[in-house]
Amino acid sequence: MLKKLISSVLLLILVAALTACTPSSAPDAGLDNSEGNTLWSSEHYDADKMKGLSLNLYGVTDKVRPILDIFEQDTGIRVEHLTMKNGEILQRLENEYEAGVSIADLWFTGGADTFINAAEKGLLTGYQTPAAEVLDADMKDPDGFWHGTSLTLVNWVVNTALIEEKGLKMPEEWNDLLQDGLKDEVSMSNPASSGTAYNVITSVLQTKGEDNGWIYLEELIEQVPFFTARGSDPKNLVVNGEAIVGINASNGDFEVEKEYEHIKIVYPSDGTGWWPQPVAIVKGTQKLDAAKVFVDWLISKRGMQVVAEKRYAAVARGDIEIPEGIVDIKNIELFPADFKAGAQNRESILAEWARRVDK
Amino acid sequence: MINRGITKSVSFFKIIYCLLAILILYFAFLPVLSVVFSSIFAQGRGISFQDIAHALKYLKNSLIVTIPVTFAATALGTVVAFTLQRLRFRGNQLLKLLALLPLINPPFVGSLAFIMLFGKRGLITNKLLGLTISPYGLAGIITMQVLSLTSLAYILVSSSIKRVDPSLEEAARNLGSSSGRILSTVTLPLMLPEISSTALLVFLASMADFGTPLIIGGNFQTLASDLYIQITGLYDIHMAAVSGLFLLLPCLLAFVVHRYYLHQKYYSSSNIVSENIEFKQMPRPLKAVLTIITMLFTGVVVLKYGFIVIGAFTKQWGYNYSFTLQHLTGALTADLRPFINSIRLALIVALVSAILGVFLAYILKRNQPTAAGIIDFMATLPAAVPGILFGIGYLVTFKHPFLGIGKWVFPDAKPLVLLGTSSIIYFVCIARYLNVGLKSGYALLAHLDPNMEKASYNLGENEVRTFFRVTLPLLKPAFYTTFLKNFSTTMTTLGAIIFLLIPSNKVAVQQIFQRITGSEIGVAAAMGVLLSATSLVLLGIFYLLFNYQEIIKKMRSRGSWD
Repeated sequence: MLKKLISSVLLLILVAALTACTPSSAPDAGLDNSEGNTLWSSEHYDADKMKGLSLNLYGVTDKVRPILDIFEQDTGIRVEHLTMKNGEILQRLENEYEAGVSIADLWFTGGADTFINAAEKGLLTGYQTPAAEVLDADMKDPDGFWHGTSLTLVNWVVNTALIEEKGLKMPEEWNDLLQDGLKDEVSMSNPASSGTAYNVITSVLQTKGEDNGWIYLEELIEQVPFFTARGSDPKNLVVNGEAIVGINASNGDFEVEKEYEHIKIVYPSDGTGWWPQPVAIVKGTQKLDAAKVFVDWLISKRGMQVVAEKRYAAVARGDIEIPEGIVDIKNIELFPADFKAGAQNRESILAEWARRVDK
Repeated sequence: MINRGITKSVSFFKIIYCLLAILILYFAFLPVLSVVFSSIFAQGRGISFQDIAHALKYLKNSLIVTIPVTFAATALGTVVAFTLQRLRFRGNQLLKLLALLPLINPPFVGSLAFIMLFGKRGLITNKLLGLTISPYGLAGIITMQVLSLTSLAYILVSSSIKRVDPSLEEAARNLGSSSGRILSTVTLPLMLPEISSTALLVFLASMADFGTPLIIGGNFQTLASDLYIQITGLYDIHMAAVSGLFLLLPCLLAFVVHRYYLHQKYYSSSNIVSENIEFKQMPRPLKAVLTIITMLFTGVVVLKYGFIVIGAFTKQWGYNYSFTLQHLTGALTADLRPFINSIRLALIVALVSAILGVFLAYILKRNQPTAAGIIDFMATLPAAVPGILFGIGYLVTFKHPFLGIGKWVFPDAKPLVLLGTSSIIYFVCIARYLNVGLKSGYALLAHLDPNMEKASYNLGENEVRTFFRVTLPLLKPAFYTTFLKNFSTTMTTLGAIIFLLIPSNKVAVQQIFQRITGSEIGVAAAMGVLLSATSLVLLGIFYLLFNYQEIIKKMRSRGSWD
């Protein structure tokens, strides 16, 4: 009797685990549906055919989930996402292309340089969405291989508790990072493995000029105890108090600041680096029309508004209301950016950097 | 009549054996071979001196970490196992239980706890002792690895201590040996084979660990973490392939050396399982030292775990310790499917690997089929390959159609490409953990009296019926141990599957890894605690299921169940 009971319990657990399929978290109803749907359109959209369709998306952050949920609400198309590092996505796409396996349909979020790289390798499908006409030229690829959705801005994550404790000057401009008290207290990622740090270097070189730029960088190197593997590490180190200032990149949001009382996000007053967060359609997708609908929707006023509100991001379109808690990029000094040049000189710049670090 | 029965059954086992052999060749051996070949011939570019210099530099780092970790964790694990299993002192039972905690280790979160306790502004080093030392680097990696691998060593050595025949110690004592002499000439030598295979597993686990160096290595990275950085950060698959080869070689070398030179025979041949046998007449000072070491170790383990739980339930781990449920609700309201996927993966992998592993052990040991040695080697090989490399092996092998062979036969056939399906992670885990079942099967069969089976034949049963009615019930314990072990391992495994996941089949560990990277450490800790708690509850249920008959018996004999 007991034996039977127990085996049926085991069976139940098994069945429950095998068949359980939790419904996806209910999409946020904060953004009004009926109004939202007037703000986007797509000639590729076919509500009946696409209902219940599922797209696969690669990206570098889990924070895209609420955006994808609202897209599903608007269109009935489900988007499953998988979060990886930039390089891993590139590797995967190459692998899948070579194998003729189509896993990802879309790629959303990441560094512009990886998208440029992928486009050159023929891993993306060009599509010029009509919605992108209003975007600035440096926010989109001329052949439509990728479109910028929001801006990633370089900033500093500062541990204010430690600044106070040590009586240091709150850093405002790049030279403030060189103050004596910050020796071994500045955290920066390795530019060879992190887009954030690489962008900082190219930006500094572009604004200060080659010679002065390298002089500055050499002094900066002196302040950094070790270079972390990933761009997100410095932020974590500063939050934990292992460093006082971390060179970071974010959407222009103040999320870390809101979450931690002892943290402040600073946008350097004498200019900072930036790059677009693109979206692209992966070559070989079996669901091209639905993928086009996603791009149309994302770049539309509707999509951009959702991105601004859900990701707290400074978005690519200028005709969107800026929600509270996001920097207004008009107030920030942006370094001029030449992503293509940055991508082309990568090897020589990294070699020069490595030479100075090893010195 | 009897003759016919035997021929039939022999062909039954032959067919099963052939099937298993093909599966093993295919899913366990081929991927390893693929990694080696794709490393040597990657992208049509040979291996340059520069690549080798790079790989050697990181290999040196790996060995600087792994060698001391292997010695320290094995020695400490042995001390803890001996103390807890063979010495009697107050609190012994509790410590035994606590030392098992790392079995359900919430992954990656431990390193964070370490930073917050012993970091530059850590609770203990800075707030309590006023020190400002950076935990990042070699010392941090070694400490973390010793902590988690000592527990592994403790579990492995414990099982062998139970198999040491106490009558041998008794004999030595009767012949007048001192207890120190008994320890060094009887007890330890009896345990030596098991200690050496424990050391091998610790070595392999330390070599393969990429998460710890990544999180607290600072500018000191090992071959495994460099491999991960090469792929994810530097987009350099070629360099990664060369690094992979250099990571694989020492692991294979250690595996082969152990297999053919060190691991020659088990001394623990008796059927006696000596549970709770005290090692008598231990000199008091020695006993005190051993007890203190063990208590310190379990203390640190408890500290680490307690601190993770604190992190999961406080506002800002490391800064603001006011109580909150926000991280837990955050973890629970996030997509729960990765958790369900993890449980499903662990269940199926544990079930299949336990059944196949123990069954294969039976066929290999009892039937002595052709090529038994080779099949055993191929089935055990994945244990020696760092998870991340085994995963890459699957990537390069199964991106071709028809389960990999289509590369040459049907290059254009789309169907049956395993890559990109949600089933590939099941295959990779089963292939990787099959050897656990094999090993437990061997260990049990060594103690099983073949006369039981002979008696069954003499009574007229054929081999198949004998297997199912006599042998199988006897093999149950091996199946149960394997199931429990593989279940808990699969719940927290990431390396082997990290490059094979697809958007619709994410697992919980990967979510924790992402949270840590995104500095959502509170949520990461909460998810880690949740994952551990889930494993713990499920393991408890399985344990009860597997042992309920004995438990009932015990209760009955105590009179509390009537």
